[in-house]
Amino acid sequence: MIGFYLSQLFNGITQGSIYALMAIGYSLIFGTLGLVTFAYGDIVVFGVFIGYYFYAILGLNLILSMVLALPITFLFGILVEKVCYEKFRKKARMLMLITTVGFGIFLRSASQIIFGTGNRSIPTLIEGKIEIGNLNILYIQLAIIVFTLIFIYALRYFLNHTRTGIGIRALSMDQDAAKLVGVNVDTSIKFGHSLGVVLGVFGGIMLGSFYNAISPMMGPNLGLKAFTAVVLGGITSIPGAVVGGYILGIMENLAVAVFSSGYRDVVAFVILIIVLVVKPSGLFGKKVKF
Amino acid sequence: MAANIFKKTIVNINKHKRKYLFALVSFLIILPFVVENQYVLHIAVLSLMYMLLASSLNVIVGYTGQYNIGHVAFYAIGAYTAAIVATKFEINFLIVILLSGIVASIFSLGLGLPTLRLRGIFFAFTTLGFAEITRLTILNWRSLTRGPFGIPGIPVPELFGISLSSNIHFYFMIFILLVLMLLMTYRIKNSRVGRAWISIREDEEASASMGVDTFKYKIMNLMYGTFWAGVGGAFFAYFAGYISADSFILDESFRFFAMVLVGGTGTLSGPILGGALLTILPQLFRSFARYQMIIYGLAILFIIHYKPEGLLGGRTFKADINDANEN
Repeated sequence: MIGFYLSQLFNGITQGSIYALMAIGYSLIFGTLGLVTFAYGDIVVFGVFIGYYFYAILGLNLILSMVLALPITFLFGILVEKVCYEKFRKKARMLMLITTVGFGIFLRSASQIIFGTGNRSIPTLIEGKIEIGNLNILYIQLAIIVFTLIFIYALRYFLNHTRTGIGIRALSMDQDAAKLVGVNVDTSIKFGHSLGVVLGVFGGIMLGSFYNAISPMMGPNLGLKAFTAVVLGGITSIPGAVVGGYILGIMENLAVAVFSSGYRDVVAFVILIIVLVVKPSGLFGKKVKF
Repeated sequence: MAANIFKKTIVNINKHKRKYLFALVSFLIILPFVVENQYVLHIAVLSLMYMLLASSLNVIVGYTGQYNIGHVAFYAIGAYTAAIVATKFEINFLIVILLSGIVASIFSLGLGLPTLRLRGIFFAFTTLGFAEITRLTILNWRSLTRGPFGIPGIPVPELFGISLSSNIHFYFMIFILLVLMLLMTYRIKNSRVGRAWISIREDEEASASMGVDTFKYKIMNLMYGTFWAGVGGAFFAYFAGYISADSFILDESFRFFAMVLVGGTGTLSGPILGGALLTILPQLFRSFARYQMIIYGLAILFIIHYKPEGLLGGRTFKADINDANEN
């Protein structure tokens, strides 16, 4: 019995890593645009499908095609920024919010037309497992956790020690002041947004290869989870997003262990409501005005 | 050129509001007697139903500016309340419809109390989550909702011993509901309450400083809007005779949202136009029924890019650059 809970805990950590990646991406987008997006989950799923199609149609190596998908989604992120945000930067922010809703619907139904409505199976990136007693640890789980940590540290380095990264951070603090000290606002917004998208897609690929399935309908749900993780950690804080992602992943899997798997997606919502009622600024966030 | 003609038409409509309203109402009353084709009549009933639902969402999105994108949850709650009550007890359908509205409204109170104190974005996301949770609960709570099998055999509504089963009956049923809803909303909009709602939309802080209890009015607004969504759901349950969780997916929510935005947020006539347009237009692409949602997505993108206040005007979106800087 303990073994069962332990393996659920380990699943939770794996899944938490994925949510953490998505949450960081989300938090980056929030930082650069000053706005939440509703299209995030759909964009992520779209990116994963691009990778999948490299693999399934062109017959490329699985890992290579997933790696190839990342720069493409980066470009796609720029396109999304152009369609959804560029025109509205200086206008009412509700407009941006609505365009992301519209774009999400558009992209989701377009994906359904292009990729079909059903589930597609992605083979596991790395096969094999370790057995410790009756606890099974898949290599893919270890890979996900390690990759996530590498990504987080790389991102930290990027945001703190490179010119572009510092520019993005400056932007998320004060757009006008950033402009004054010579940050190219337009480029930084586009770069930050696309980077957020790429992080999300990377997380999506991990998720797809962990569950062996992706479908265009997963979008809104993934978006909701990334948002929950971000809100839980404090919406402007990147370390917070990581912690939020892990907590969400672990809670979800423990809930599945205790109740039933039908209620997996309810957990995120319950957490969201509790955070909003008890501490809307999240665990590590400063007070944010919406 | 086309834009110019369109503009003139809109101005013309606004100038002779009463004439056009009279023409529209007479057209809608005569329509079911002239049209023989049952399919067209069916679409007409659906259009009216979507007009009602879009109007109910417009009360929340358009008047108070709270972005409820999970409106389908209340529609679903209304439909399931009606279906469960109507199949288990013999109660007049009018009471069932009223009850469904009230139940939907109570659920919205439960959602609004924790979330409406916060600004719009949180509310928007929680409504989205709520819609998904409602659907999942419907799917999983088999003893009450029969889960994925849905609830069949919802009895035909009866009034004074006449059973209302044909499309014409349903047409007038929803027509009366819609007119009732619009009249009520019109009266509220021009009352103290309606002005409080609109002041919250325009500037919540200013409105609070003028002594409007914004939280109370937002709750009222949400409950009123969702009441009509519940009524719409109950009507749908009677009209379809069978409901299942498949009818209440998130896409339905986005459909209402697109209707409100395209027609014009914060106007009585906007959702009517939007509801009609976006119900009838996709029928032209009937063979691609599965992909209809793409039309709604594109409609939202286009309208926000080129005419953010919607086809029939309505609220304008003020820039809130100062807000953005404070983040």
